Amino acid sequence: MTLFTKTDCRLCDQLKNRFDFAAMQVDIEVLDNGDAAALAHLAWHSLVESARKTLPLLVLDDSSTEADFNRIEGYLIDKAMQCGLTIKAIPSQSISCDDGSCSIQ
Amino acid sequence: MGVVMPLPTERKSKIKSFSKADSTDLALFVRTSEEDITGWNRQRIVDALLRETFVDPDTADRISLDVEKTIQNGAVKTVTGPLIRELVNAKLLELGLEDARRMHTRLGMPLYDVNQLLVQHNKENANVPHGPEATNLTLAEGIKKEYALLHVFSDDVADAHLKGDLHLHDLGFIDRPYCSGQSLEYIKKFGLNLPHGLSMAKPAKHAEVLLAHMVKFAAALQSHFAGAIGWDAINLFYAPYLEELSDRDVKQLAQMLIFEFSQQAVARGGQAIFSDINIYWEVPKHFENVPAIGPGGEYTGKTYGEYEKQAQRFAWALFEVYKEGDALGKPFFFPKPLVHITEKLFKTEGHMDFLNHICDVAADKGNTYFVFDRGETAKISECCRLSFKLEASDLEDAKTPWRMRYSALQNVTINLPRLAYRAEGDDTQIFSLITEQIKLAVKAHAQKKDFIGKLLAMGEGGPLSLLAMKLDGEEYLRLERCSYLIGMVGLNEMVKVHIGQELHESDEAMKFGLKIIAHMNIVCNKMNEKNGMKFVLEQTPAESTAYRFAKLDMAHFPKMAKKVVQGDLEKGEIYYTNSTLYHVGSTMNPISRVEREGLFHPLIEAGAITHVWLGEAYPDKGALTDFVIKTFRHTQNDQIAFSPEFTCCLDCGKTSRGLSQNCSYCKSEHVDGITRITGYFTKLSSWNKGKLGELRERYRNEKRFVEKAV
Ligand SMILES: [Zn+2]
Repeated sequence: MTLFTKTDCRLCDQLKNRFDFAAMQVDIEVLDNGDAAALAHLAWHSLVESARKTLPLLVLDDSSTEADFNRIEGYLIDKAMQCGLTIKAIPSQSISCDDGSCSIQ
Repeated sequence: MGVVMPLPTERKSKIKSFSKADSTDLALFVRTSEEDITGWNRQRIVDALLRETFVDPDTADRISLDVEKTIQNGAVKTVTGPLIRELVNAKLLELGLEDARRMHTRLGMPLYDVNQLLVQHNKENANVPHGPEATNLTLAEGIKKEYALLHVFSDDVADAHLKGDLHLHDLGFIDRPYCSGQSLEYIKKFGLNLPHGLSMAKPAKHAEVLLAHMVKFAAALQSHFAGAIGWDAINLFYAPYLEELSDRDVKQLAQMLIFEFSQQAVARGGQAIFSDINIYWEVPKHFENVPAIGPGGEYTGKTYGEYEKQAQRFAWALFEVYKEGDALGKPFFFPKPLVHITEKLFKTEGHMDFLNHICDVAADKGNTYFVFDRGETAKISECCRLSFKLEASDLEDAKTPWRMRYSALQNVTINLPRLAYRAEGDDTQIFSLITEQIKLAVKAHAQKKDFIGKLLAMGEGGPLSLLAMKLDGEEYLRLERCSYLIGMVGLNEMVKVHIGQELHESDEAMKFGLKIIAHMNIVCNKMNEKNGMKFVLEQTPAESTAYRFAKLDMAHFPKMAKKVVQGDLEKGEIYYTNSTLYHVGSTMNPISRVEREGLFHPLIEAGAITHVWLGEAYPDKGALTDFVIKTFRHTQNDQIAFSPEFTCCLDCGKTSRGLSQNCSYCKSEHVDGITRITGYFTKLSSWNKGKLGELRERYRNEKRFVEKAV
């Protein structure tokens, strides 16, 4: 699995707080700091336009992609459970992005 | 899309030494540049040096004496102004006054080159016919090009162009912006009211008059831009004029529009008016609630949303005309019809019939361009593939559509394979070399912007009066909103040098290609922030640049270049693959090509295209419709076009499908071929060697589509 994220993205931060990606063997691609490799990886999965609308984005092991935040969380919970990891509780305030900071440009 | 001229070859003036003449009775005549023959007057040299350079009077005097002496030593009876100027330049050089020499330079062409030009066909740009008007343009372009390289651009930029590190497009049009996309609403609202126009025309009351205004305005614009003149949503903006017209009259209007634009190429003598018309089956969302302007420039009291049926009637008729072709059945070269494929199209009644109709034209004549606007994106497209995404400020303009106009000021293309030669396999090097080249391109753009800005600031009394006119309160060319294009040639060959495989040969090669373009995209964005200008990547059309870069690399990097340059080395028909395209000869199936090439497109924001070469194949329109829908739904591809080939007989005038040596009707060998050179159709007889080399290698997708039933 690969999760495409960005540093100042609130939705991404919520996931980072809840899951231990390294232990789950989920690759993280951070789409800022001018990282051409991450952007190229995003393009390889046909996700550039999607990332301009919303982040995070998840690429599953079968190369299918997911942009819906709740479903991304669902996949990650499944994966964490498979790995026998505990999952931190959802913060009391549910997070959303209205100002577009959870996307590239 | 300018003319690339051979650089004037340096010729040494042969000054022979003859018997000495007394300076006081130097019986010498000077042919001046003012078409006059005057007697020798040394003071004119001094005057010119003081006027044009910073040389001090004593030095100027000394130089004039030296030149006089040189001329005395010759036995010539008549010298020319240019010869004297070169002798002065030689003295300046001897004295180490290089700056003064540059300022004192004369621009022009050797006799030999002018003779060649007048009596031989220019093949550097496929869009230029050969005739007295065309050679006038070429000569003027030659001088403007020299001027640009000496006076507009700094030495590092000019040298990079001359060496082939990058290509500054349209140097011969240095005093014009590159291309322009606009709205018919401007002339509907303001009439034909151009600076220095002999007579002003009020807003048109009838459709044909509106067409006449449009054609004249396009011609006026063309003489102020180097490249394409595009028109947004043309069928929609004509719609308020069509209500009273019968279907027959609408068809007649469509015919007039297409013939007028296709024939202006002939009238002008130079490059064809590179014209594009954007067409929508639906009423684009951003125009739905906009009050419509109708006859006499008055609001009709309806919104454009209410003109859907009229707009559709016109769109349909335009494609009927494209389907018929010209009087001989040949496809029209211009205007190029760009149909926008959007989510809303699929929700609009009659869309399948329309798709089949335009795919019928695509299969038969090839004209249709399919522009994919997925999601909420709105675009206006023009040129070979250039498109402008409409941003918030543009969508605000859409409420008063006459304000909608977009321009790219210049196009600079980077020679990618050369950077791979220089990087010698080193990853860090290759990315840093790309950054360096983009920085140089940015510098070139800033210099051109400065220059155009100066001309524009002279206002309606200056050379760009048309672009300075302010009928709606703003200058026609809104300099601060222009885009600056950064193009690329030969990504495929760059990757081959660096990775050892072409883009289509492995995922690894493709991923590396994506990383290169992602890097270019990121650097452009950083440059935008730093310079406050809008730099965007574009797939360079490169009808001549792909050939020029390959030739220059064969000269400067022969060992490495000969391993990757495409085409026929022996015949000199060499080229680099255009922009980010896959090798033209790769035999992959067309939908894979569209899908894979499309992976680059979201990173190339000013527009990209995939060509599906058809050769003799004549696909069924339904097969193409499926293909187009699949492309929209399942790929990221920005734009596609299908390109058949034709042979037209210069004896019997008939046109047949496919390229052949003889006319299939009368067997004459006096034939010419027609197909797309890059983003537009031309006759093969005008193609340069590089593009001919590419044509021989194109994979033509024969048997890849269900064929049209005979
Ligand atoms: Zn014939």
